[in-house]
Amino acid sequence: MQPVECEFEAEVLSAVLQSRWPERADPALQAHVADCTICSDVAAVAGVIEDAREEMRAEVVVPDSGRVWWLARVRARQEAAKTAARPITATQMIAGACAVGLLGACFGATSAWFQDALRWMGSAFAGFDLAGELMAHGTIVLGMAGVLLLVPFAAWLAMRRE
Amino acid sequence: MFREVTFTDVNRLASMDETCGAFVMDEDTFRAFYDRTARGVWAYLARITGDRQMADDLLQEAFYRFLRADATHDSEAHRRNSLYRIATNLARDARRRNLLRPAANVAGHDIETISAGDRPGAPERSADLTRAMSRLKPKERAMLWLAYAEGATHQEIADVLGVRASSLKAMLFRARHKLAGLLGRQEVKNAAR
Repeated sequence: MQPVECEFEAEVLSAVLQSRWPERADPALQAHVADCTICSDVAAVAGVIEDAREEMRAEVVVPDSGRVWWLARVRARQEAAKTAARPITATQMIAGACAVGLLGACFGATSAWFQDALRWMGSAFAGFDLAGELMAHGTIVLGMAGVLLLVPFAAWLAMRRE
Repeated sequence: MFREVTFTDVNRLASMDETCGAFVMDEDTFRAFYDRTARGVWAYLARITGDRQMADDLLQEAFYRFLRADATHDSEAHRRNSLYRIATNLARDARRRNLLRPAANVAGHDIETISAGDRPGAPERSADLTRAMSRLKPKERAMLWLAYAEGATHQEIADVLGVRASSLKAMLFRARHKLAGLLGRQEVKNAAR
């Protein structure tokens, strides 16, 4: 198995980072690097990356720490407000559904036309064989049940992502 | 990303409880930590994404997520590693969302525009590194930058990149060998002779 480490690696790295490489480095180390792939790789890479790091750090202008802190606070508050508003929305949805149900019940109880329609439907479906229908149209029923389950799940996933 | 905040937003938010959006870290500690690390994190992001604008955006996002994580850290190194891990994940997510331009297209037009100073040969070396790094995989770029620009240990690099520490040595060896080849390893050998 090819070695991936060399005992002189740290020494070479230190020489490179202290700008001693190659002129002011120990001749024995120079001789080793000339024959060691690992150390020659370290020497080739470390100095260039260190130079690039220094250049980039010197040139870059990062936003002021106070501004970053303030923006982070504002954003955190916005997110907190959004999170706090979520249960209210759910409660409102439930209340809305209850109100619609209640209105429907009132309408059903008071409307003669609706009660007649219900009676007609009761007589029309009196001889309805549920088990037989399910056996005959099992695939369609299963498909519809699947859709009924999948749609709310998809809606939940979409809301969760938001 | 941070969106523009209007005065209405500020007024509404100011009326909210002060504890909303509070972080475990206090402002002074954060600002001192930011001042120590922001430039390094920016350079890391710019190198692994190959895009200065992306690095600007991800830098702020990284610090925000770091604050929001509300984690307690044993030491400065631990805190720093958490930040770099967040930055790495953000860069990876951005790449997955195809927000990043291919590094090869960026090389020579973006990172290279950073002045390489007045040192003789520095601009050429910087341009060479940009070109060479653009041909590495993002994980290889991150690994090499953390090892040689940030001086991170193998364990720290493994933690930041989410790889096994036992495999890191071999991965680092391969990435370094690849980059050295792209930079012209022979020059170093000749210099040593």
